[in-house]
Amino acid sequence: MAKSLLLISRQSPWSGPGAREALDIILAGGAFDLPIGLLFLDDGVHQLLPGQNAKAVQQKDLSANLQALPLFGIEDLFVCADSAAERGIDTEALGLDGLKVLTAPDIAALIDRYDQVITL
Amino acid sequence: MKFAIALFSAAHAPSSRRALLFAQAALAGGHEIVRLFFYQDGVYNADSGVVTPQDEQDLPKQWRTFVSDHQLDGVVCIAAALRRGVLNGEEAQRYQRSAVSVEAPWALSGLGQLHDAIQDADRLICFGGP
Amino acid sequence: MPTLHVLSHSPFGDNRLASCLRVLGDKDALLLCGDATYALQSGTAPFARLQATGLKLFALAEDVQARGLSAPDWAETIDYPAFVELSIQHDKVNTWL
Repeated sequence: MAKSLLLISRQSPWSGPGAREALDIILAGGAFDLPIGLLFLDDGVHQLLPGQNAKAVQQKDLSANLQALPLFGIEDLFVCADSAAERGIDTEALGLDGLKVLTAPDIAALIDRYDQVITL
Repeated sequence: MKFAIALFSAAHAPSSRRALLFAQAALAGGHEIVRLFFYQDGVYNADSGVVTPQDEQDLPKQWRTFVSDHQLDGVVCIAAALRRGVLNGEEAQRYQRSAVSVEAPWALSGLGQLHDAIQDADRLICFGGP
Repeated sequence: MPTLHVLSHSPFGDNRLASCLRVLGDKDALLLCGDATYALQSGTAPFARLQATGLKLFALAEDVQARGLSAPDWAETIDYPAFVELSIQHDKVNTWL
C-alpha cells in the first residue's frame, strides 16, 4: 500500500514561489496516483480567497490549479479554522469544492493519520 | 532505517549544514540514505559556481564529497533549478545559457523522484529555513 | 503515532512556534534548532509557553552553545546521533520549513 503524504501549505500566493512549489509537489504526487492531502494553514489560507487578480502583479493564477486538484485525484483538502478566522476569512465564502474546515485538535489528528508530512 | 532527506534552503543557510551533519550521522549510525533531494533554494547546494571564502565552510563542496564518497543518489529538482539559474550542460544548451553550474554527482530530475524516495524510505526528513 | 516537530526559526517575529504548538498532538515532541533555540531564553513569552505545555522538548546542543544560551532542565540538549535516533523513535518528522 502506498504511503500517504500530507502537505501543509503555509505561504501566501504572492510572496514568492513557495505556494506554487508546494502545489507542484501535490500535482506530481497526484500524477503518480499517490494518496495526498493538502492543508492550508497560516498565510496559506490566503491562497483560497475568491476574487484574486494574479495579473495585477504579473503572476500566474494559482486558483485554477487549486480548482483542478480533484481532477488529479487530490480530494483531501483542508483549511485551518483558526488561521482563517485570524485573517478575517469566512470559510463559507471560500470557493474550493470539498474543502473541509478543521479545528486545531482536528489538525493534530490529521497529521497523525498520514504516513509523511511536509510543511512548506 | 532508510532515510529520504530533502533540503529546501541554500548552501549558506545553517539548515543546509544541519542537513549534511544529520546525513553523516545517519550513515555513521548504520542507516541508509535512499536519496537526497534538493528543492526550492536547496538547488543552490548543487551549484558549482558558488565561491566560498576560505575561512568559511564550503557546503557545496562538502555535499559533493559526501555524495561521491558514499555513492548516494543526489537529485536536484529540475523545475526549481531552472527557475534559479542552476543548469547542467544539457539544460544550458537547451535554453542557450552560458553557465553550466550542475555537474556530477548531481542529477537534475523531477518531483517524481521525491515521491519515489518518500515511498521507498522509512523516514522523510526535511531541512530548510534558517 | 508520535510526530517529531522541528523548528529553526526564531520565535520572535515568526509565527511557526505558535502554529506548531496549536496543532501538536499529546504524544508529539518538539526539537528546537537554529534560531528556534532562542525560545529557551528564560523570562520570555516563548519560554513560558513551552514550559507550560509540558511537552517533550529537545534542543540541538550546538545551537544552544553558539548562542550562549543555557537549556532549562525540562529541555534535553542533543547531538546529531541523538537527532537521528529521535527521528527513528517517532513515526514521522515534521519540519516547519
